[in-house]
Amino acid sequence: MTISKMLLGAASLAMATGMAHAESHMADTSDMRIALSNNYAGNSWRQAMLQTWEETAEEAVAEGVVAAADAYTTSENQATEQAAQIQNLILQGYDAIVLNAASPTALNGAVKEACDAGVTVVSFDGIVTEPCAWRIAVDFAAMGREEVDYLASRLPEGGNLLEIRGLAGVFVDDEISKGIHQGVEEHDQFEIVGSVHGDWAQDVAQKAVAGILPSLPEIVGVVTQGGDGYGAAQAFEAAGRPTPLIVLGNRQDELQWWAEQRDANGYETLSLSIAPGVASLAFWVSQQILAGEEVPKDLTVPFLKITQDTLDEALETTPEGSVANVVYTLEDAKEVIAEAK
Amino acid sequence: MSLLSKPWLWSWVAAAVAFSLTLGLTSGRGAGELAYAALSFGAFAAIVGLGQMLVITLGPGNVDLSIPATMTLSATLALKAMGSDPNTAMLGLVIALAVGLGAGLANYALIFLLRLPPIIATLAASLVYQSLAIWSNRGLRIKPPEGLADFSTGRFLGLPNVAWVGLVLAIVVWVVLERSVWGRWLLATGQDLRVARLAGVPVELVRATTYTSVAVFASLAGYLLASFSGGAALNMGQEYLLMSIAVVVIGGTSIAGGYSNVPGVWGAALFMFLVVSMLNSYGAGAGVRNVLTGTIIIAIVIAASTRRART
Repeated sequence: MTISKMLLGAASLAMATGMAHAESHMADTSDMRIALSNNYAGNSWRQAMLQTWEETAEEAVAEGVVAAADAYTTSENQATEQAAQIQNLILQGYDAIVLNAASPTALNGAVKEACDAGVTVVSFDGIVTEPCAWRIAVDFAAMGREEVDYLASRLPEGGNLLEIRGLAGVFVDDEISKGIHQGVEEHDQFEIVGSVHGDWAQDVAQKAVAGILPSLPEIVGVVTQGGDGYGAAQAFEAAGRPTPLIVLGNRQDELQWWAEQRDANGYETLSLSIAPGVASLAFWVSQQILAGEEVPKDLTVPFLKITQDTLDEALETTPEGSVANVVYTLEDAKEVIAEAK
Repeated sequence: MSLLSKPWLWSWVAAAVAFSLTLGLTSGRGAGELAYAALSFGAFAAIVGLGQMLVITLGPGNVDLSIPATMTLSATLALKAMGSDPNTAMLGLVIALAVGLGAGLANYALIFLLRLPPIIATLAASLVYQSLAIWSNRGLRIKPPEGLADFSTGRFLGLPNVAWVGLVLAIVVWVVLERSVWGRWLLATGQDLRVARLAGVPVELVRATTYTSVAVFASLAGYLLASFSGGAALNMGQEYLLMSIAVVVIGGTSIAGGYSNVPGVWGAALFMFLVVSMLNSYGAGAGVRNVLTGTIIIAIVIAASTRRART
């Protein structure tokens, strides 16, 4: 409890200093209300995201930065359901809607309605293409390319790769996979000899990998989309094969496994992911827009990178069973905005 | 031609074909590995499939859509209670099964007391179970105790332990269906509810026990799956919703109820794993894979049902 209190204290201190800056030259947002419209809550990433939002919102409300910042999650991950939710939020008179969208296009109608009603819409992670909304996006293709770049730096001779993809038909899956394939084109010493869909779930990935492994030649590296690295490692172990170089995501059990392997045999790898704390960034960006700051419509979030050197630090700050996270402050939001200008 | 008229045959033929086509690619290498993986992962589908089979046998409109949520909730609560401490595997199992029992009784209560159609009742209940799972642990993943993890990933006489559990369960279900009064009641209820009631079958008791059994099976599968894959995750049960129905249908159980088929469920569970492995091994993309999987399932169902009609 003391640690979390200290963290809270530090966060509020950071926010207080941030506020002092914000209030000096901008409109007052203390009577404004922000809503989070979230399409899904059924995995640990989304849970961490909601928790970060809650903490950020609670602090901000307590400090009087905004009047309210409530989170709403749809139950079935359906675009129609979320569109109805957005319409409700407009009627409830929120000044801004922060949106993690079920679809990049299907919500455009509802988002347009919100804009026409004078509501600021900021989409993040699952972004929308409607031009009146802001987008806090991740360059997923770059993430895929970086995985292969890293493998090339570690395995200059190249070899066979296994690709674990996410959920078929989802924009993020296509983008990361595109980046990975671009990377492989660039580093042509690598060849992708197998590709399976792990649905970003560990048990599904484990099952898919176990099924394809018997038909594969020797694998030197596994490129993933996060959340599936540990499952892949278990499948290799069950098949009695040597563990290849697996690029990991940010789940605590993956990182824990990495640390154990490192201590046992010097295993070295890289973890790339999107921090669920991106919700706190979206919160501050929307607050800045409400405060009258000129914010470009397209912003980019850096991805969370954990290397051999920062592994212990990341493990220390990640609760057991959760995901590695970064909570963004107002200062971070300003930096991201400044970079995009 | 008595063998060809068995509806369960087709799922086993399909599984064998998928198996040999995959091995054709590697010219026989990795046969043991693939069979072992199919038995391990097929076991989970078989366990939930056996439960779903009992419910579907109850007749048209009977299906349990709360299987994924029941799996998630029971696994989450069991792993939380065990907290990775050694020698708590039994405690975890009891908790998981108790959650399953509770979920099954709650499902049936909704169906019986509120007169809700089972599809609506179990779907609505599943939202509650899923929310309880989220609320109880907020998606934190707790590792299973080491002994339990070793058991669920281990083997006995060359076969995976989870497959042994699935096999024993299948035999128990088969004996109960074929040899016990309750099994006869279930089949009679599925064939004609009204006739069964008039003949003195306690149909509501049969329905209650069936909906409870499927939830208990789902909770057992959830408990084993979480131990097998290193902890419970909120989305762990997701793929077992359609999977549980698919293995029942492919396995030759009548979707109209009244006829169940235990060996077919196991054949179909192996097939569902092997067909994905086969298409992955041949490098089929996600779109092609889904289309082919669907086409193959339809073909098997047609093959199995025309044979039955003719005999």
